[in-house]
Amino acid sequence: MKKALQIALGVLTGIGGFFDIGNLVTGAQAGAQFRFQLLWALLLGTLMVILLVEMSGRFSAVTGKAIPEAVREHLGMRVWAVPFIVLILLHVLTLAAEIGGIAFALQLVTGVPFAVWALPVGALMWLFLWRATFNAIEYSTAILGMIALCFVFAAVTHHAPRNEVLAGLLPSLPSQEPAKYWLLAVSIMGAVLAPYMFYFYSSGTIEDEWDETYIGVNRFVAISGMGFGAVVTAGLIIVAAMVFASKGIQVDSVNQAALVLTEAFPFWGYALFAATLAVACTGAASEVSLSLAYTVSQTFGWHWGESLEPAKDARFALTYTVGLLIAALIPAIGVDPFKLTMVTMALNAMLLPVVTIPFLLLMNDRRLLREHANGLFTNVATVAIVLISVVLFLVSIPLLVRGG
Amino acid sequence: MDLIREVLDKQLVDRNEDRLGRVDSIAAELREDAPPRVVQFELGFVPLARRISIRLERLAAALHKRFAVRRSARYGIPWSQVTDVTMHHIQVDVIADETVAYDWERWLRRHFVKRLGGGSGGSSE
Repeated sequence: MKKALQIALGVLTGIGGFFDIGNLVTGAQAGAQFRFQLLWALLLGTLMVILLVEMSGRFSAVTGKAIPEAVREHLGMRVWAVPFIVLILLHVLTLAAEIGGIAFALQLVTGVPFAVWALPVGALMWLFLWRATFNAIEYSTAILGMIALCFVFAAVTHHAPRNEVLAGLLPSLPSQEPAKYWLLAVSIMGAVLAPYMFYFYSSGTIEDEWDETYIGVNRFVAISGMGFGAVVTAGLIIVAAMVFASKGIQVDSVNQAALVLTEAFPFWGYALFAATLAVACTGAASEVSLSLAYTVSQTFGWHWGESLEPAKDARFALTYTVGLLIAALIPAIGVDPFKLTMVTMALNAMLLPVVTIPFLLLMNDRRLLREHANGLFTNVATVAIVLISVVLFLVSIPLLVRGG
Repeated sequence: MDLIREVLDKQLVDRNEDRLGRVDSIAAELREDAPPRVVQFELGFVPLARRISIRLERLAAALHKRFAVRRSARYGIPWSQVTDVTMHHIQVDVIADETVAYDWERWLRRHFVKRLGGGSGGSSE
């Protein structure tokens, strides 16, 4: 019974954690400009994130160690130094984008500019993390995250052409603006594959005290949680295609994206979008902040744990405090959350090999994982992940320059 | 024992299994006609930075001097204080909260956490 409840919560957490400003911004743009044609990027990214999340949960359940501490212990600080710095950078940028997203949601409903909201939002996020336990954060993120299902409901009401939607699941060449098409494909994958997802999941496995008996649960949670999260994102792409693409509207700001639900929900679609944006970004911001604090504390061997009171792990608490302050300052000085999200998601994709290769090496260490080390299928799939990441990395640079 | 593989970068825990830090470097004594002998582990940003580059070590040392919260940049734990070595950690016979490795933790608890109502940490301070 306890396990069944944990499975349900794990799946909900997966959905809650999956959907954030990255998915909202890239999905709305993709649907508006390329209709269903980029659904394949979402599918590929989801397959990759299921593999990575399953591996990170399996690793931590078997070894009792989170990824950062295990990489430093087994591969050494010299190997870990560069991925560690890259991870901190990506965490802070992603956190800035999420805080910007919450601030923009407040701008949508109040008319007060997002830059004014950024620091108060950062302060409220801090208070939430300072006071709440790990389980309170996990469960509230999970349950409130269900609001994102409005995109699935809206997609159903729009009666999208089924054949065209299914055709979008296979990669195809764009009929217009190839640079933007490939940049959006990279950014969709970057949004789905944000490294904080599997670093957070790995530490969450330890916080929830999962052990080897949870390997099956972990696999189920990874597949269904990430899978349902992808269904929500697909719903957004489909709705954006039906609402914007048919009218030739391109989405290049959060203001425009906010209109995506107004046809399915004429009276409260705008407010529903703002609420979904705020809730999704709050869930993601709490996970990113904690993931940052876990990564730093585990690297240096400090005492850590979100369920401890801050006085028991002052350096852990200070890390997310400083992270939130720096991240909140970025939208507070007026950096547009929409543009920041696009750049951050492309960087996520570009730098994926740096933060995954050390982890993949560990997944093959039989001294650590014994019979739970990666098998042939997972190894082939992980090599494919690294290869795709490298290709994304190489393709991203000229696209970033050309795509703007 | 393979020191680099089994000891360097390993998690150190105290008598109560509180996390103390990591083995940031190992100090060994060179002996004539005998293999080198480990004298102590060292914990701290300065010895850790040295393993990456001398320039980074200088920067860490300058920061240590500027903030002067930690009593010494290097905190050494003699090998004789090791009580257990497992796959997960190395246990040493000290109380983390009383060591140099916790100087920053205690300082932050006093100046940052207590003022913001994050509890007292159950210490005698």
